[in-house]
Amino acid sequence: MNVHDEDNPEMERMKKLLRQSVPPLGAGDEPERDLWPAMLHRLDRKPAATPWFDWALLAGLVGAVVVFPSAIPVLLYYL
Amino acid sequence: MNTHPYLRAYLAGIFLPTLVLPIILTVFIVARIVIQVPTPIEQVMIFPMAIVPSLFGLWNMLYLESHTRMHHPIGLHGAVLPLLMAPIGALLATHLNVLQFGSSGLVWFQVCSVPYALVLPGLLFAMAAYYLVWKYIVGNLNQVLGVA
Repeated sequence: MNVHDEDNPEMERMKKLLRQSVPPLGAGDEPERDLWPAMLHRLDRKPAATPWFDWALLAGLVGAVVVFPSAIPVLLYYL
Repeated sequence: MNTHPYLRAYLAGIFLPTLVLPIILTVFIVARIVIQVPTPIEQVMIFPMAIVPSLFGLWNMLYLESHTRMHHPIGLHGAVLPLLMAPIGALLATHLNVLQFGSSGLVWFQVCSVPYALVLPGLLFAMAAYYLVWKYIVGNLNQVLGVA
């Protein structure tokens, strides 16, 4: 931008529009505390263990397939 | 990542049926050509190929849409899907001569007989299977794709 641009009313208008559309970054936009330790803690967190109910359900499903193998084609049809 | 969440939900939904489809196709082709089971494979494959993946995708989109209001678990949402799929699949199978209503039970693929007493337990079985599939597979895919 040179000296002549500052005298240009079109350029001044453009600057004004840009200032209006892009809000200035102020100190209030900074987080109040360091978020990185919390992020590390979340990354290190172990996944939740599978509840016993789901294991029992899976065992029941496998058992049912073993007892009624003729139902397998019907199951495949619905998958 | 907030762009196209419904597209991502659809893709996460269709992932499993699309992955399983070649296996199903292989099983039916082996049964038809190698073991010589008189199953009309062309009619059988219409439902798993054309409708099940789309239903999974649309059901996951519905989950995304309703989860913000209802906060229901995804496993429960998936467990309800067989209640919709069972009649649609049975209706289509009946029209394509894949399913017949016999005197003692349902006859699937002209060879597989299922007594009427086992229809309700079968539906509960499907709901339990879908509960696990949606909770552990579709739910994880949703997390990976940033859907929910």
